[in-house]
Amino acid sequence: MSLFWLVIRQLAEIEAMAASKKIITRDEWEKKLNDVKIRKEDMNKLVMNFLVTEGYVEAAEKFRMESGTEPDIDLATITDRMAVKKAVQSGNVEDAIEKVNDLNPEILDTNPQLFFHLQQQRLIELIRNGKVEEALEFAQEELAPRGEENQSFLEELERTVALLAFEDVSNCPVGDLLDISQRLKTASEVNAAILTSQSHEKDPKLPSLLKMLLWAQNQLDEKAAYPRINDLSTAILEDSAV
Amino acid sequence: MPTPSASSATGLSSSDPILDRLASSDGSVKFRAIREVKNHIIGNRTKKLSYIKLGAVPAVAAALADSDPNLIVQSAAALGSFACGVDAGVRAVLDAGAFPRLIGLLSAPDEKVVDAAARSLRMVYQSKLAPKYDFFQEENMQFLLSLLRSENENLTGLGAGIVIHSCKTIGEQNILCHTGVLEKLSSLLDGSLSQRDASLESLAAIIRDNPAAVSNFVELRCGRALRSVTELTKDKYPRTRLLACLCLISVKNSSTCYLQDIGIKTKLVYILLELLDDSGQVGDEASFAFSSLIAEKEDLQKLAFEANAINKFHCLLQKHPVQPKRLEGVFLALADLCSKLECCRSSFLSLQVLNLVIDALTHEDPSVRAAACICLRSVSRSIKNLSAGRFMNERVVFPLVQLLSDLSTSVQVAALGAISNIVVDFLPHKSTFIQCGGIKELVQLTKSMDSSLRLNAVWALRNMVFLADTICKEGIFTELTASSMASLICDPEPSVQEQALALVRNFVDGCLYSVEHAFAEDGIILDAVGRQLQKSSKIEIGIQGMYILSNIASGNEFHKEAVMQLLFPQDDSGSHSFFEQILQSHDSRLRTAAVWVVVNLTFPASPGAFGRIVNLRSFGIVSRIKKMVNDSCMDVKLRARLALGQIITFGDS
Repeated sequence: MSLFWLVIRQLAEIEAMAASKKIITRDEWEKKLNDVKIRKEDMNKLVMNFLVTEGYVEAAEKFRMESGTEPDIDLATITDRMAVKKAVQSGNVEDAIEKVNDLNPEILDTNPQLFFHLQQQRLIELIRNGKVEEALEFAQEELAPRGEENQSFLEELERTVALLAFEDVSNCPVGDLLDISQRLKTASEVNAAILTSQSHEKDPKLPSLLKMLLWAQNQLDEKAAYPRINDLSTAILEDSAV
Repeated sequence: MPTPSASSATGLSSSDPILDRLASSDGSVKFRAIREVKNHIIGNRTKKLSYIKLGAVPAVAAALADSDPNLIVQSAAALGSFACGVDAGVRAVLDAGAFPRLIGLLSAPDEKVVDAAARSLRMVYQSKLAPKYDFFQEENMQFLLSLLRSENENLTGLGAGIVIHSCKTIGEQNILCHTGVLEKLSSLLDGSLSQRDASLESLAAIIRDNPAAVSNFVELRCGRALRSVTELTKDKYPRTRLLACLCLISVKNSSTCYLQDIGIKTKLVYILLELLDDSGQVGDEASFAFSSLIAEKEDLQKLAFEANAINKFHCLLQKHPVQPKRLEGVFLALADLCSKLECCRSSFLSLQVLNLVIDALTHEDPSVRAAACICLRSVSRSIKNLSAGRFMNERVVFPLVQLLSDLSTSVQVAALGAISNIVVDFLPHKSTFIQCGGIKELVQLTKSMDSSLRLNAVWALRNMVFLADTICKEGIFTELTASSMASLICDPEPSVQEQALALVRNFVDGCLYSVEHAFAEDGIILDAVGRQLQKSSKIEIGIQGMYILSNIASGNEFHKEAVMQLLFPQDDSGSHSFFEQILQSHDSRLRTAAVWVVVNLTFPASPGAFGRIVNLRSFGIVSRIKKMVNDSCMDVKLRARLALGQIITFGDS
């Protein structure tokens, strides 16, 4: 992205200028930053990309009307994708599986790892709800054959079934499986797979741009002292201690 | 709602309610039943198999003829899932007559139906069982082009899938080039993620081993297609990188004009080595791609060696557990790496990769066992390590001999290949092999119905006998017997005949005692050699036969006379000219071998030399030799001069 390359170019310039650490004042730095022209449309595209990928369909719709930025994907498909994600997040895994299959039957048929994780999540939900017998039957019927096909699935299955062995699951070595974070993990895996099946990048571009910014600042730190962005949420330039 | 095929579905099993519901005349019951089956089977191989066994596929397929698009979509999706990754499912879908119906649905007005049908068909086309698409039929080609021209990604994907499935012969590749399919597919390189991958894979199918198709491709859009593919080797997605590499390898291997600079070669080596780290299918396939890149190419093997490839493969083998496909690919890649360069072999041996290969000889998967043998054969080409007896020990030989009776023919052939190399041993390690019962197994395999087994077994014996001591030769001879050697010489397969003759050649090489082998059982072997020499026009057979005679003619008077008898049979009037014809062969190797026979027959110190020279003169051989002293081949020239010198010591007339 252009912002990134700009920083890189500055970095190169500074590197060429001096071997010792150069000091750049706030005025100089702000002037340099102001010289950078970033097209409004590009910024808007980045925002739209983030909204679409993360599934904020209403915000995306509003943003389109306000900014005139066209999303690179049919907004209706976002609603379907979000419905799947929400179903996993609220523990309705079976419902989520049916929704994915309606969306595109290939996703779970060609992605054994994702399919296993969804089934594993189903098992976790059964255990959470205290349905021990149903859980055992499900593990035996649905998950055991997958474990036979794949060694790492088997290990994960064993870990999950271990939940049944503990009286106090909140305080056991595999208790993390019952965490809400496990649901979120599974939900984001499904989300990514649906996006990939729609030929869409599975990650928004914005976070990786921020990562690049941090990387570039770290590189620059070795060459120069300059007003740095330390808090990404405010993006305030802070003078560095020289 | 009337359902035309319902009656056939109810007939399957009335005891299972799901079959009843699938065949229900109530549309909503049927819809829910099909959707239920679909949701049960997606991602679940075991469920697929049990529904197939239950006979659910015809019942699901019947719904394709329904008028309700929603029902059709569910049915097509379920059929696609049955066909996904399960051959029995593909067969069931085809048997249910769903294939032509799905094709018909591609022109349905409802886009959802079109999508579902295209997806299903794509699944079917991923299987070998799918019916072959006939590109030579005009309407088929038009249909394919219409798929590829479509705006719908599922349809273009299906088009590419058909090409990937059915484009196998050079004729098929050429027609796809000339009708614009190649061009259309390459334009998909700029498309979406799935279109790019489909495009790369289908392009690779069209240009594989076909120089004309490659140059078509390279010139497409002034080289822009090739540039796009090259660009995609740097793509973010590993699968795309792999497919792009496969395309470039096809281009590079097809001719010496494209992609020959060291930059791109090095790049391909590094990309593929990096792709090996992928834990899924891409990583598995990367090693096979790597093999196709470096096979038979010494320069690329050198580059790979410098890129630390052996180390990389060694590390991959250390991870546990390694899937069979991965193991197979890694062993085959190592085999190619070690096929020519000694530096690769020594690095292989010093990293102790050999131990891992030996372990794999007893792997449960036959492809892995075969690959391990192929790897072993390649490494054992190292003369240095061979003569150090590095491979001739029980740890290597015992499992190899066991593999000679493997249930899989390809494993047996691969094991024979490895044994063939290992038994070419210069030190007295050969006994290890005999003690492991190897000879018995080899001899047994020379009697196999399978010609590739006979060929490789005889080959291994031939190498075993090479420079072997008398005791070893004697052991093998007793086991093999003169009569079965004679029948191997007359085997229906010319390649077996050649190896059998080479085996005899090694048997009769060396001391006087060795020569006697040819005369066992009333000279049955020698008779067979004579018959084959008169009958066969194959150069290699002539060469081996001539060396047998040359070895025998180095023996005593009796042996030399027997050779004369064989070359010029008394009861035969006109056919003696076969030896003269051999002397005039256009192949210098054969001429060399034939002159050697004359040299040994006319050796002046032997008492009967004069008589034989007289005979040779009368058969026109001496004048032939005189013409050969100025042969274009140095070997022939020197031997002919040697023979003539010997002949002249007895006078020139």
